[in-house]
Amino acid sequence: MSAPLLAADHLIKRFPGVIALNGVSFDLRAGEMHALCGENGAGKSTLIKTLSGIHPAGSYEGDILVEGQAVSFQNSKDAEKHGIGVIYQELALVPEMTVAENIFLGNEPRRRGGVFIDWEKISRESKELLDRFGLSIDPAAKVNDLGIGHQQLVEIAKAMSKHTRVLILDEPTAALTEQEVGVLLDMLRDLKKRGIALVYISHKLDEVFAIADRITVLRDGRSITTLEAAQTTKSEVIRHMVGRPLEDLFPRRSGKIGKVILSVKDLTVAEGSKNRLEQISFEVRAGEVLGIGGLMGAGRSELLLHLIGAYGQRGAGEVLLEDQALGPKHSPTESIQRGLVLVSEDRKRYGLILDQEIGFNMALSSLWDLVHSMFGSLGLIDASKESGRNQEYFQALRVKAPGLNTPVGTLSGGNQQKVVLAKAMMTRPKVVLLDEPTRGIDVGAKLEVYELVNKLTDAGQAVLLVSSELPELMGMSDRILMLAEGRVGGLFGKAEATQENLLAAAMGTEHTANLN
Amino acid sequence: MSTTVASPTTTSAGLALRALAMPLALLAIFAYFAIQSPAFLSSRNLSMLGIEVSITAVLALGMFLVILPGQIDLSAGSGVGLIGGLAAVLIFEHAWPAPAALLFGIVVAAIIWFSMGSLIVKERVPSFIITLGGLLVFRGLHWLVIHNATIPVSRGGEANLYSQLTTCYLPPMTGTLLSAGVILAMGIVSWRTFQRQKASGTAGHGEQIFLQFFVAAQLLGLFVMICNAYRGLPLPVVVLGVVAFLIHTLTTQTPFGRYLYAIGGNEEAAVVSGVPVARVTVGAFLIMGLIVAITGFLQTAYSGASTTTVGSLMELDAVAACVIGGTSLRGGRGTVGGVLLGALIMAALLNGMTLLAVSPEAKYITRGLVLGLAVWADVRLARRR
Repeated sequence: MSAPLLAADHLIKRFPGVIALNGVSFDLRAGEMHALCGENGAGKSTLIKTLSGIHPAGSYEGDILVEGQAVSFQNSKDAEKHGIGVIYQELALVPEMTVAENIFLGNEPRRRGGVFIDWEKISRESKELLDRFGLSIDPAAKVNDLGIGHQQLVEIAKAMSKHTRVLILDEPTAALTEQEVGVLLDMLRDLKKRGIALVYISHKLDEVFAIADRITVLRDGRSITTLEAAQTTKSEVIRHMVGRPLEDLFPRRSGKIGKVILSVKDLTVAEGSKNRLEQISFEVRAGEVLGIGGLMGAGRSELLLHLIGAYGQRGAGEVLLEDQALGPKHSPTESIQRGLVLVSEDRKRYGLILDQEIGFNMALSSLWDLVHSMFGSLGLIDASKESGRNQEYFQALRVKAPGLNTPVGTLSGGNQQKVVLAKAMMTRPKVVLLDEPTRGIDVGAKLEVYELVNKLTDAGQAVLLVSSELPELMGMSDRILMLAEGRVGGLFGKAEATQENLLAAAMGTEHTANLN
Repeated sequence: MSTTVASPTTTSAGLALRALAMPLALLAIFAYFAIQSPAFLSSRNLSMLGIEVSITAVLALGMFLVILPGQIDLSAGSGVGLIGGLAAVLIFEHAWPAPAALLFGIVVAAIIWFSMGSLIVKERVPSFIITLGGLLVFRGLHWLVIHNATIPVSRGGEANLYSQLTTCYLPPMTGTLLSAGVILAMGIVSWRTFQRQKASGTAGHGEQIFLQFFVAAQLLGLFVMICNAYRGLPLPVVVLGVVAFLIHTLTTQTPFGRYLYAIGGNEEAAVVSGVPVARVTVGAFLIMGLIVAITGFLQTAYSGASTTTVGSLMELDAVAACVIGGTSLRGGRGTVGGVLLGALIMAALLNGMTLLAVSPEAKYITRGLVLGLAVWADVRLARRR
């Protein structure tokens, strides 16, 4: 048997504090469609960045082989020279340029000694290229005016213009409608017939089984197994993706569950002209942790941001906080004063004023409670009350810093997260919305966050916990709501919340229409 | 080991140099002008300088409030001309009593700046554009109101509230008592800050608080003594003192002020943290309007009459004073003390060059170079950390 077209041999890629790839091997045969499956954080994106030269040779261990020969790519141009092209999740087209201009961007044919761009050749060749793949797209159209599905096809045509032999696609259907997905899959099948090898990354197992020849499962940075698609099943793939036993890292103490505090009924939220959330209903009770899971883009963060009053327009439905309507047009200021507070997943963007001190950040959300009354935000802040309150939470959360006047930007991720949590706690909330509260922090700090969740529910507060990590979600939640593409994929009690059930609900397996 | 010991000391040395750079520059400017022209340090000239600094600094403090949340007001200078001219016309041509004319000017300014702030926040038009439009519109309105003439601030040369804004001096005794009161109050505040820091264990350096207090107290005492040797403490200096005290308190002691810093530091985080971003930003513009009116009265009174050039380019002096004083144009950073220092540098430069009979073209060039140099030096010193 001849050497595979592209192969990875025991790739190990380390980032500070994390091993993203911990021994990944995989091979791609000429003319095959090879799917990569794995949970968020399994190492799929790192793998393709390594294969395509974005992580240059020398920054990883192990070998990349093209037709049996070890190669060392310094950048993505090197990879392109070996015929490896990548279509990323975020499209890399210039919206204000035409289709033809985009296809030849950075690669423009020249005339008159290389001074002038040969526009005639560009428009002729791009038309030929589009025709070759049977795409009815006008090369003179602005990319901006195309739908996202057509933009995706233009990206692929662009990659093909560079004599690509291996095309890697990272979640190409994440933003497409079902019809667009159908067109895309047809084009990929066509490419396969022309002898192009494809690496296909998708969370959507229905698509994977519709087109893949083989499936490699990644988990925790390792390649677990490679399966022939024709001889396996979705449930076997899911079992390999999940794999690990639920470790005892989640010290959830379920306490007394009280009355309903937050109730969401048939909530539909639009951003721009598109509905991002549709018909979401759930309730949270005092002392309860409701976990919210789902794949990237399922609408988890959007749900929390809308509840706090910082995202989208409510199309329908209602939100009740202690039986009183919240919204449809409410501000975060109102939410916080009524007892609803958010700890965002992106603490640098939505959580902290990085130039300011710890004390400034901690008190920011509760200043209205620290004023000498009467004058509102023009009143004088009670300085001793403020520093007392800051000190109390600084110690309770064990923030490791020289003092309250340390600039928050100089702290480690875990300690920054504690400052954001302290800021939320200081508003004395009734419902705390935690969006990925343990992302990017070390194990010790994680345990402290979990302890804090227990303390909150012991005190009769309700917690909404969004997490991409299923073990965390299962370990810390009393009930779990799975979102799939902006809808409720399923609501599970502790007993039914197996990883298989949750993952199936997150992929919306029931909803997805037949693709074949 | 040596590196771990060395880095904090270089850091604090760098910080100290950065904090001291502008006071040292000011000292150098004073020294240069004093040597070139002994009249610079005369009590008469320093009194005049006091008035000029006050006018520049009051407007700069308003600009500071607008820059803190990351906005800008380019219309301030034109606004100064317009509001000052409006009040002058009401008094000189329509025989309004001075207090009513001034009050009317304040109300008009408040309405205009509130509207501009609302437009910027609600309709999301950049403040640079809205206030650039304001610059042109207000300049035109100003000339329209005074029909390109020279309108005195009082009828028949008699003194009124308007004209006395810059010609009134506090009697020596009053000035001395007033400054003693201010120094006493500063002492009490410093002492209480020190006590609180000690109690909460966040005490940095007690000596720093007291050093600041002693330097400020001595400079204030010295300035009042010099002024008393001429005619007494000029009224604009008192106005500046009140405005500076209010804005300092506003920015450091109230939620409103904290919110200004938070919005400028990270607007998205501020929104999620429950900061009423729209209300606070509009509030900053409203206060700017009040300050534009006050500056308009002071500047017009100082000129004696409203003319087409009153207020011209003052917005740029105000921005320059903020920036030289360490205010970040992106927002979120700066102090009242820094702005006062920046205003003093700008005003001292202009006053000294006028005294040396420097040509107008050289004055413009020098002021521009000093602005660029100051910011460049600050950026360099900040990067060394």
